[in-house]
Amino acid sequence: MTVAVRAAPGSSASLWQARRRSLKTIARYAAAVAITVIFLFPVFWIFMMAFKTPDEIFSRPPVWLPADFNLDTFKALVRDGDLGAIWTSLITAGVSTIFAMFFGTIAAYSLARFKTGGRNLAIGILSQRMIPPIVIVFPVFLAYVFLGWIDTFHGLIILYTAFNLPYVIWMMRGYIEDIPIELEHSALVDGWSRWQVLLRVVFPMARAGLFATTVFTFIFAWNDYIFALVLTRTEVVTFPVQVTSWFGQQFVFWARIGAMSMMGTLPIFFAVIVFQRYMVRGISLGAVKG
Amino acid sequence: MAHIRISSLHKYYDSVHAVRGIDLDIRDGEFTVLVGPSGCGKSTMLRAIAGLENIDSGTIEIDDEVVNNLAPGDRDVAMVFQNYALYPYMNVFDNIAFGLRARKFPAREITARVQAAAETLDIVELLKRLPRQLSGGQRQRVAIGRAIVRDARLFLFDEPLSNLDAQLREGMRVEIKQLHQRLGKTMIYVTHDQIEAMTLADRIVLLKDGSIEQEGAPLDLFERPVSRFVAGFLGSPSMNFLPAKLVENGTYLGLRFADDVTLALPAAASQRLASRVGQDVTFGVRTEHITPARDGELDDGFVDLLVTIDLTQPTGSRTYASFKLAGVAVQAELRAHDVEQPGEQIKLQIDMNRAIVIDPSTELVI
Amino acid sequence: MSVPRATAAVSEQWVGGPFGDSRFKYFLIAPALFIMLSIALFPLINLLVVSFQGISIIAENKSFHGILNYQRLAGDSRMWKSLLHTVGLLLVALPIELIFGMAMALLFVDKMRGRQIFVALLVLPMVIAPIVAGATWRLMFDNQFGPINQIIGWFAGRDVTIVWLADSSFVWPAILATEVWHSTPFMFIILLAGLAGVDRSQIESAQIDGASAARIFFKIILPAIRPVLAVAILIRALDLFRIFDIIWALTRGGPGTVTETISTFTFVKAFEQFDTSFAAAVAITVVLILTAVTIYALRRIEIAR
Ligand SMILES: Nc1ncnc2c1ncn2[C@@H]1O[C@H](COP(=O)(O)OP(=O)(O)OP(=O)(O)O)[C@@H](O)[C@H]1O
Ligand SMILES: [Mg+2]
Repeated sequence: MTVAVRAAPGSSASLWQARRRSLKTIARYAAAVAITVIFLFPVFWIFMMAFKTPDEIFSRPPVWLPADFNLDTFKALVRDGDLGAIWTSLITAGVSTIFAMFFGTIAAYSLARFKTGGRNLAIGILSQRMIPPIVIVFPVFLAYVFLGWIDTFHGLIILYTAFNLPYVIWMMRGYIEDIPIELEHSALVDGWSRWQVLLRVVFPMARAGLFATTVFTFIFAWNDYIFALVLTRTEVVTFPVQVTSWFGQQFVFWARIGAMSMMGTLPIFFAVIVFQRYMVRGISLGAVKG
Repeated sequence: MAHIRISSLHKYYDSVHAVRGIDLDIRDGEFTVLVGPSGCGKSTMLRAIAGLENIDSGTIEIDDEVVNNLAPGDRDVAMVFQNYALYPYMNVFDNIAFGLRARKFPAREITARVQAAAETLDIVELLKRLPRQLSGGQRQRVAIGRAIVRDARLFLFDEPLSNLDAQLREGMRVEIKQLHQRLGKTMIYVTHDQIEAMTLADRIVLLKDGSIEQEGAPLDLFERPVSRFVAGFLGSPSMNFLPAKLVENGTYLGLRFADDVTLALPAAASQRLASRVGQDVTFGVRTEHITPARDGELDDGFVDLLVTIDLTQPTGSRTYASFKLAGVAVQAELRAHDVEQPGEQIKLQIDMNRAIVIDPSTELVI
Repeated sequence: MSVPRATAAVSEQWVGGPFGDSRFKYFLIAPALFIMLSIALFPLINLLVVSFQGISIIAENKSFHGILNYQRLAGDSRMWKSLLHTVGLLLVALPIELIFGMAMALLFVDKMRGRQIFVALLVLPMVIAPIVAGATWRLMFDNQFGPINQIIGWFAGRDVTIVWLADSSFVWPAILATEVWHSTPFMFIILLAGLAGVDRSQIESAQIDGASAARIFFKIILPAIRPVLAVAILIRALDLFRIFDIIWALTRGGPGTVTETISTFTFVKAFEQFDTSFAAAVAITVVLILTAVTIYALRRIEIAR
């Protein structure tokens, strides 16, 4: 904690304190920069892989910056059709997010405004999300084998939807509870139907929460590895699965891993920076409003 | 216009019995104020009438039709909320038009009606603004505009002025009263501000713990409260209450206080209370009925008292002065310069005709 | 609407819109419940059934095996070790993330120019896909081409060739580093929000009273952010218990079974050895352990909000 000392200007004490304060400020900046560099270095390192030549990748001592930013790796990804993985991720994460947001938000409204099922239902719903993915995916795998849904888009989309629903319901319940209920009451008295109230009052009022929750829901699906690993083979390859496919027994395709990681990560970075304000609430399950 | 009949209305929130068997008739065009302390069930009643709250038993009739199972939108009521309930993402025009759009009014009629309402409320130049660009008083006008534009048969107000500062509140109070006179609509108005209740109401319904404590014209309640609660709730500053004993006092009865001071009761009260001689009672008198004694004979039913003033609170036109009677602090309402300093002695007179006597076991006026 | 408009029957809620209010609320929640139940609950019940059968790669035995699989599990030292690894990692990583996160939050809690930018950059690692985080650090820890050995070499003044991910005495620190890097930002940003909510006037009045910084931290700040702290710890603990991606990318549980966690162990049993019924029993056990913890945790979170 820095101490906010306010001394009369001109006194010798204030000079000394101003000096001390500026030293402190410098120290803070130095620490801030150092920490930021440390935390971003790995990101830098993996991204650089995409631009390095094989010689630069496999050199000792390691080369930190590529001599020139060559785009051969990206061209190779395009040529080999590996970018399809990004597309697949976009479809599976995107469609499942839309489903989860729609069904989750109306369910959240029911919980928030009608207290459907009481407290226990809400907690029971969220507890489903706390089950380790491996435990979920295993029986789902058995079921999907039976249904013939392995390696299908709809199989993965349905699982992502189901897995994200508890999150959406829980978050949106909180955002909806924050809307003054009088706004809805007023619309009901005015003669709007329940559905119209949802559409014309609740959704616009919860807009920020809807966007933020959409972003985080999308990220969860986008970043998933284990569900896709278990439930897909060759038809539906999401980008995390694609990344690990380049860890060969004999050879690791670092350049491709770097390029694919970069393409899979930059959009997320962008979204998170835009929705920074809602971050704390989004990741703390609404417990910390930030 | 509408008349309302509510019979044996009950409402529970889980274990909280919020409304406990209310019976109430409200005439066409009447301005009824529901008043009472926080949590007494005023808002719950109002929401039940609007249809926003389902009720556990009883009936609500509007114009002889039981509306228990009608959706709020089908009851043809308009409601103004304490926090204004304006939609922050719509401008003032759209806010006011929102209810008309729900009822599928043609665009031309919507414009005309919103315009008319805006003129009534003097907010025409605000129509393009968003709610957050308005002051509290302006928001309140818009909220009222939303209600009047629909021309509903019944208006419900839930503490519409409580978020405004004192000065604005006074102005809006007058406007609401004028609005009622102009529209002639039945209005039910909730407040916990007794001045608002007194000034606005044709009829006050005073609620306590979910039941009606007393209802009637404002001055009826003020002058003839049925209970200590009503007497204490209405009037500012609050009525003085002192414990006393009912005793014989010459021809009539008197009230004897702890320090053996005895105040004579007038003839009418003495007759009424004759059977209770010897009982402990609570004596209640409003501040304005304790005044400086005039020289010469006291009027009938007045008693006088020499007291030492402990504390003065000048308000400008009046000065509230406290003194001790039988160890209890009592406030009197004096003219501005009747006392200048605490510590002064002054002779006061109490209008015993206006005083009330309460049975402390039932808290009812006897 | 066929509902009579004037009835004295009351306990029914009013009818609004296309659905009665009482039905409307169930109508809203039904699709979500249906999806969640069919994807989580029914398969989970199936899992329970399977765990009492004898299905494996060598036998499709659907007869009732009683608690055989659970007995096997109780005597399976590899399973217990993986559980031990999981809990051990949790107990080590969580305090480290907490302390680092707190230190960073304290550094950034006071206003400074550019703070927004620093915070925005610092939270980025946490949103990287865990599998990508694992891949990244696998590259960082590469014994020949990774920068970590290189940097250590600068300090050591000689060539360092630690084989981080294959040497059983270095592999856990490597996993720990990856995990801490990936999740400290979570602690950081939540604690930062918590600290921002601490009443400044309390701190200032303590400073005027001459309280030391440590005393202020432990007597004022820490109690004030306790609910936030509890939430952060609970969420991270549940996450750490499920850890899979990072380990899978870095070591796949190796060398041998040195870094196997309960999730990777279950994965190997279920999807590499196809010891289906046994894996089901493991999964059921994990669910049972977690359910109690989770429900307790969620109640705490709800209290905090
Ligand atoms: N949604 C609710 N759930 C549970 N209890 C409630 C609810 N709404 C009101 N109550 C309870 O019902 C009683 C009456 O509440 P109501 O809001 O009608 O009071 P009020 O007279 O309007 O008070 P105020 O002047 O504070 O607005 C209170 O005890 C309150 O705690
Ligand atoms: Mg109220």
